[in-house]
Amino acid sequence: MSSDAAIRTGAIPERLLEPPLTEGVVTPGSLDDQVLAFPDRRPPKQWYIGLAITLTALVIGFGFIGYTIATGIGVWGNNSPVFWAFDIINFVFWVGIGHAGTLISAILFLFRKRWRNAIARFAEAMTIFAVMCAGIFPLIHVGRPWLAFWLFPYPNQRGVWTNFRSPLLWDVFAVSTYFSVSLMFWFLGLVPDIASMRDRTTSKVRKTIYTVLSLGWRGAASHWQHYEKAYLLLAGLATGLVLSVHSVVSFDFATSVVPGWHMTIFPPYFVAGAIFAGFSMVVIVLVVVRETMQLKNLITMRHLDVMNKVILGMSCLMGYSYMMEGFTAWYSMNEYLHHTFMNIISGTYGWAGWLTISCNIFIPQLLWFKKCRTSYFWMIFVALAVTVGMWFERFVIIVISLHQDYLPSAWRIYKPTMVDFGVLLGSFGLFFTLVLLFARVLPVIATTEVKAILPGAQPSHHGDDHE
Amino acid sequence: MSSGKSFAVLGLFDTPDALMGAIPQVGAKKLGALEAYTPYPLHGIDDALERRRSPLGGMVLVMGILGAITAFGFEYWISAIDYPIVTGGKAPSSWEAFVPIMFEVTVLFATFTAGLGMLLLLNKLPFFGHPVLSSDAIKAITRDRFALAIESEGEGFDTEAAKAALLAAGATQIEVLPEPDRGPFLTSDYILRVAGGIFAACVVAGLAMYGAVKLFPVLPPMSHMEDQPRLNAQKADPFFKDGFGMRMPVAGTVARGYLPLGVASQDEAASLVNPLPSSPQVLAAGKKIFHNRCELCHGALGNGVPTLTAAYGAKPANLQAQQFRDYPDGKIFWVITMGKNAMPSHAADLTETQRWEVVHYVRALQRAQNATDEDVKEAGAR
Amino acid sequence: MSQQNRSTTNLLRGTLAIGAVGVVAAFLKAGPERFWANWLLWFVLLFTVGVGSLFIVALEHLVNAKWSVPIRRIPERIATLLIPVVPIGLLAIGALPVLFPGTRPEALHNKILAGKAFWLSLPFVSVRTVIVLALLILGLVVLVGGSLKQDQTKDPAFNIRARKFAPAFMAIFALAITLVAFDWISGLTPEWYSDIFGVYLFAGAFLGGLAATSLAVLHLKDQDRLEGVRKDHLYNLGGFLFAFTVFWSYIGFAQYMLMWYANLPDEVIYFQTRLTGGWHVVTVMLAFLHFVMPFFALVTRDAKGDGSRLRRVAYLMLAAHILDIYWLIFPILPGGPHFSWPEASFALLFLSGAILWVRGALQKGEDMPVGDPFLKEGLEFRL
Repeated sequence: MSSDAAIRTGAIPERLLEPPLTEGVVTPGSLDDQVLAFPDRRPPKQWYIGLAITLTALVIGFGFIGYTIATGIGVWGNNSPVFWAFDIINFVFWVGIGHAGTLISAILFLFRKRWRNAIARFAEAMTIFAVMCAGIFPLIHVGRPWLAFWLFPYPNQRGVWTNFRSPLLWDVFAVSTYFSVSLMFWFLGLVPDIASMRDRTTSKVRKTIYTVLSLGWRGAASHWQHYEKAYLLLAGLATGLVLSVHSVVSFDFATSVVPGWHMTIFPPYFVAGAIFAGFSMVVIVLVVVRETMQLKNLITMRHLDVMNKVILGMSCLMGYSYMMEGFTAWYSMNEYLHHTFMNIISGTYGWAGWLTISCNIFIPQLLWFKKCRTSYFWMIFVALAVTVGMWFERFVIIVISLHQDYLPSAWRIYKPTMVDFGVLLGSFGLFFTLVLLFARVLPVIATTEVKAILPGAQPSHHGDDHE
Repeated sequence: MSSGKSFAVLGLFDTPDALMGAIPQVGAKKLGALEAYTPYPLHGIDDALERRRSPLGGMVLVMGILGAITAFGFEYWISAIDYPIVTGGKAPSSWEAFVPIMFEVTVLFATFTAGLGMLLLLNKLPFFGHPVLSSDAIKAITRDRFALAIESEGEGFDTEAAKAALLAAGATQIEVLPEPDRGPFLTSDYILRVAGGIFAACVVAGLAMYGAVKLFPVLPPMSHMEDQPRLNAQKADPFFKDGFGMRMPVAGTVARGYLPLGVASQDEAASLVNPLPSSPQVLAAGKKIFHNRCELCHGALGNGVPTLTAAYGAKPANLQAQQFRDYPDGKIFWVITMGKNAMPSHAADLTETQRWEVVHYVRALQRAQNATDEDVKEAGAR
Repeated sequence: MSQQNRSTTNLLRGTLAIGAVGVVAAFLKAGPERFWANWLLWFVLLFTVGVGSLFIVALEHLVNAKWSVPIRRIPERIATLLIPVVPIGLLAIGALPVLFPGTRPEALHNKILAGKAFWLSLPFVSVRTVIVLALLILGLVVLVGGSLKQDQTKDPAFNIRARKFAPAFMAIFALAITLVAFDWISGLTPEWYSDIFGVYLFAGAFLGGLAATSLAVLHLKDQDRLEGVRKDHLYNLGGFLFAFTVFWSYIGFAQYMLMWYANLPDEVIYFQTRLTGGWHVVTVMLAFLHFVMPFFALVTRDAKGDGSRLRRVAYLMLAAHILDIYWLIFPILPGGPHFSWPEASFALLFLSGAILWVRGALQKGEDMPVGDPFLKEGLEFRL
């Protein structure tokens, strides 16, 4: 039995308290002034320099893509037996990075984690940009990209349909659904913020644009009611998507019989890896954003600390997956699986295997230490290591399994070409160009959502909101 | 005193508590419909305004289920009924493979219902003509103030009473709002109608294309491509009395590249003459064929000691026997061509030239196994 | 204790006794395979519910969850099931030579099993099981023992210790659930393997723990205990039940679909057994009871917070979890799905025993962690 007298009363000790989500005095008005002012101002010189760099990378990349389309896939390193290489590595890499945004937006919303509010907008934007980068690769790797519309089951004069039993087609549906849903979710979140921008801008041109984009939003309580419901439903649906999209991507591999690919753990392993890589990218971008846009009071060290904890947690899940793969390589008593595993740790590409393990498992263990979780140097070091490690993990999965599978007469070494690297560079260029443009034009923090969790934001009879 | 021209009276409040406190006070006076305007959603305001629950959840569930059924049905129809193809050894109707896409389409339908249903159907956005948008208060509403509006529900709206009620409840600013402007064409209705039209057009186009592809070819005269008045291989045909489309060759027809031997029995074959000279090339060719085809039964030395036929119980001829040494070349040629007893015909495998080469080799084998002193002298002399 | 409670306890003691008689009879008459399959089923079941509950407790500490503090005592009590699980598990070693081909001497001549016969052997499996159980008891002592002690001392140092220990427990949990899944379930068919199997058992265990917790919470609320635990808390429980029903289905379907798709003979045999004859019916029932029904029962917002619906779904989930373990283990016995007096006796014995144990545990001490500094915040939680 419990009695009130027995319940512990008294202050909660300092060590157990979490730091506040905003630093200093933040009011809804000051929030608007701080965050919504950026689109109205000229950006600092660093923004232009950054844009110049990213645009250069973008142009180089698209040049190489044009060259590939004009000449053929032969300009890449793909060849028998490694028919999938940088193209699919990059595709999986970018789709994975997108998942962090949806997790932050949707899953953390369902868990009612208030710390997500300040970072959800940027994370969602990164999801959309990452999925756009990802989508380039299936498109250009088909050799005749101008026929890519054949992937959609439309009634055509040939009377043929698409093959619904192929995981590659499941990918088409999954990634396009993911893109549409993320775009919808992001846009809905933006509507009230753009309404705020509409009402504070002095430029007539901008006011018209914002008016149209905000759809005439006026903050009516009746509208908020349906809006909140829609947001909750979208969060729930997007959560299902996070699991399913990268699982469907993993099915590209797991449904085959290539040794090292046909592992049942691939679906959750890929999802964990996606969240892992995505959070690292978010950490890198947020560190840059909070410094260059003076948003340290809104994107606090607490946000970075807790994101680094998620990265650490995901690293542990990845460690479990790697251990399961290693154990199964032995337990299966399957000589082909065993050979593939030996290739990962000691073959021609064994260096990639060890790079992957070091970057994904060993280095992130630094994040056990609070000092590392709250230090720019260490967290960016770890996040960069994870980004590199996760790219190489897909390299290991794809190239190592393919270059030596069942038939020794087909074993070949894979060598990427400059075009491969150029296109990869271009994808980074596209991603960061879009990020820079987004930061210039739209509110990087969901001001409406943050306003709703400030102290005193909610009516008091429903209880004060705590961190 | 009432003014029929105003649409609503709006009062601004500084804090959420002030607004929440004002709602029951103003609501009790029953001056019109209440609407609140806030920069972000307030907890508990829906209950305070006595709003019915949002139907969006039910809409999304229904559309999600519809998405699942549509996707699965479409996949099944395409893969198992309209154009079934066996891929990967799986039955065309294998449901397992349809699940991922079914799931994604379910989420797609549900999401679009949630997002677009909320905007277009429930909130009737976009709508650019609402008086709040052009009011003074809107700047404060989307920034940091909370507003309560009393909206007229028809004739008899008492603007002054509304103003007084709001002031009494603690409003810091009052504004009277005019009627909504129905001018801007871009409204939710317009979008729904356009989208509906595009969707309908796509459905019609799709059905038309499908019809064209499937039905068009079976309508005459297009069906004449399919049913042509010609003889097809291995099919019946009423043109001939016996109903067979394929006809037997006329008696006496000779196959291309075939020249008849001109003899009818082994004895008659004795008259055939070996056209090839007994040269080293001919003997080498004959040896190769013998090793490939004859040695198995007749033995490497042609002496009927075989490698294979012990298991079959057949007794191949001992080509070294006197009977066969006395055979003219033509009789050996006949046996190879027509077969004899258990030995099958090799006419299909060996051309006439090849058979004569074998004959030369058999002769050489026979001579080698039954050599006389003269044979050795001949070889030595060369 | 109220009159009603006393009579329920007596009823349970009665069914326990009947079950015990039946189990002894099964040991003597039903044949070793049947007996040990049942023992294995209940070992795994009680293990998963216990370890799943302990996982819930550790998870709450790991993420500093506040809303769940008022109800945290319940999974702590249910986790104590791990204590009787220790002797049940040790006795389950008797099943190894009977049901597990890897332990038999023929394994050394089997092409696939020879190389891993030492791993599959009785001594090594037993050692691993002992280690796993010992580590879990350690987790129980630190997390549950510490929480109970905090009721008296009111010392927040426990929260700090628990937060530090939680990640270590997660490692222990991962090891435990994976080893039990491989050693005690997939070891029944040692030529088969699936590396998601540990995750699959985790999903079932988490659901089992959640369902048991939900039932206990509702039971206590019926008795007007757990004052302050409201619909908001129940909604979160319902939300987790819903989410992890979907998660279990996703893992189960992914495992099946991948093996179906590649169609490799040594993998498909596992599902072939379960999709022919009587087992086909059980498989369809499992999909229906473990996914379709709970999904649609909990999909709406209202349903998740509704106490009576939550109770029904929690019962359903526990039944479905039992069916899941049955579906994993019993196909090893020839002759289709067996259900008659041996199975019923084991069910009576172990279910009664488990319920009696948990009821007894819930009667002791405080219903809430009264020493936890976040209890007040947890009680004030609103959606």
